Amino acid sequence: MNASRLLAFVGATLFAGSVFAAEPAMDRGEYLFRAAGCGGCHTDEKNKGPALAGGAAIKTPRGTFYAPNITPDPTYGVGRWSEADFFRATREGLNPDGAHYYPSFPYASYTRLTDDDLRALWNYLRRQAPVTQASRPHELPWYVRSRSLLSTWKALYFTPGAWQPRPDKDETWNRGAYLAEAVGHCGECHTPRDSLGGPRRGLHFAGTREGPDDSVVPNITPDKKTGIGRWRKSEIIEYLDSGMTPEGDFAGDVMAEVIDRSTSRLTPPDREAIAVYLLSLPPVEHAVRKEKKKPAKGKDAFGF
Amino acid sequence: MKKNTAVGMLILGSLELLGTAAYAESDPEDIIKYRQNVMKANGAHMAAAGAILQGKVDYKKDLAYHAKTLQTINSDIPALFPKGSDFGDTKALDGVWAKRADFEKRAKDTRAKADAFVKAAGGDTKAALAKFKELSDSCKACHKDFRKEEK
Ligand code: HEC
Ligand code: HEC
Ligand code: HEC
Repeated sequence: MNASRLLAFVGATLFAGSVFAAEPAMDRGEYLFRAAGCGGCHTDEKNKGPALAGGAAIKTPRGTFYAPNITPDPTYGVGRWSEADFFRATREGLNPDGAHYYPSFPYASYTRLTDDDLRALWNYLRRQAPVTQASRPHELPWYVRSRSLLSTWKALYFTPGAWQPRPDKDETWNRGAYLAEAVGHCGECHTPRDSLGGPRRGLHFAGTREGPDDSVVPNITPDKKTGIGRWRKSEIIEYLDSGMTPEGDFAGDVMAEVIDRSTSRLTPPDREAIAVYLLSLPPVEHAVRKEKKKPAKGKDAFGF
Repeated sequence: MKKNTAVGMLILGSLELLGTAAYAESDPEDIIKYRQNVMKANGAHMAAAGAILQGKVDYKKDLAYHAKTLQTINSDIPALFPKGSDFGDTKALDGVWAKRADFEKRAKDTRAKADAFVKAAGGDTKAALAKFKELSDSCKACHKDFRKEEK
């Protein structure tokens, strides 16, 4: 915790305001690496596996995935890759042979990363310790085993390209949008998917009962009834920092990991930017959490 | 004297019997509801203490009381999760019972953090806030491993 606070502090001074772009790529790479949660999938933290040498099982309704070894090992990792290979993987979802990646690698979000940020990430990855460990093959039902089918998925749902700031919005909003949509890939969990695994239209960030690891992922649009419309900006910031909700409850499940690994390590201005962005989203009424079985009482029972 | 002790033991024994009997008969749904209410109180005191520590409200003199209550509530969390209280309207994962040692470790950690918070709550705000953060982290750590929204 101390280390992360220190990092946040260093980050705060490094990335405050306009100096952001002028910083050396190295430190920025590590900051982005944490914010983007790469280690959460690519390191098997549950079994104390070596860093970035391949992750624990990711259970989804469409099969079990294992994020591969992305250390600079020439045989088992990405040691032979060029920067262009890395750009193609994250920006276009293609491996060096031209085959498609599964969207369980959240490139549909990472494609929005800027060239500078991709370069910083790549430089950071290059500096990690190589690990000689083979990646585990995914465990998929037969009907999704062929990567060529993924071209259909991409045609339907995937628009490659870096994030373009909206000139009609201020800097904080744009930073928040970039952090939530590209770096933090919040929608990968918070947006429900259709039967083909694509994001459902009109339900952006509106929650799903079919999240990763059997999680129920709440609606984080500012709808007052079913989302976080009653949360104040400071309460969202607090949640992303410590996990505490306005009621004093604490985040659990995969979100606790996201907070530990990513959002608690952001600079305070970056957490605020995300909160500003969330509160600016169109509110979507979409109930995800189970309704408590409340006994009907008083007027309500008679519909008055 | 001896007689008194014997009678005392008898009373104690029967009290204990009564206690366990009453316990065994309580409806698991009632235990679940009870623990959720206790946990809600846990949250309420955390939110209140947090608001004071962050200077949002000026109830500094009540901080010690919130800290003390948190210490009491968190003195024995596993007791809120007896065997048989795993079915029903609960978000507690099977691990609460299947990985009992891990669960108790989390609870013990929270108890220690709550004790430390009580000690710091009387002192300066910065030190109290640091202990509060550690307590927060321990709440989150248990929820991460042992709680999940029901499908
Ligand atoms: C939600 C889990 C998840 C996160 C977060 C994630 N990845 Fe991955 N990544 C995967 C999976 C799964 C694959 C394998 C996809 C496939 O086989 O089609 C993958 C593949 C890759 C590959 C291709 C490796 C190869 O050998 O072909 C690279 C490079 C990569 N990820 C880098 C990153 C970076 C950098 C980040 C952070 C910015 C990141 N990943 C975050 C799950 C994730
Ligand atoms: C790996 C999946 C995942 C990712 C990625 C993710 N979330 Fe979550 N989020 C969840 C789950 C699951 C919960 C429910 C946590 C619980 O049960 O305590 C949650 C809860 C929340 C809540 C609390 C809502 C409420 O009503 O209690 C907020 C706010 C939130 N997430 C914001 C974000 C933001 C912002 C991002 C991106 C920076 C993000 N999440 C990324 C899975 C995810
Ligand atoms: C040892 C594990 C553990 C620790 C430590 C713990 N909790 Fe919990 N908590 C749980 C579990 C499990 C549940 C779900 C109970 C259920 O649904 O039956 C829960 C539920 C809750 C709820 C929701 C109650 C409801 O039903 O609305 C709140 C609020 C809460 N905890 C607050 C806290 C706070 C605050 C702390 C720290 C001071 C804390 N918890 C520490 C395990 C823990």
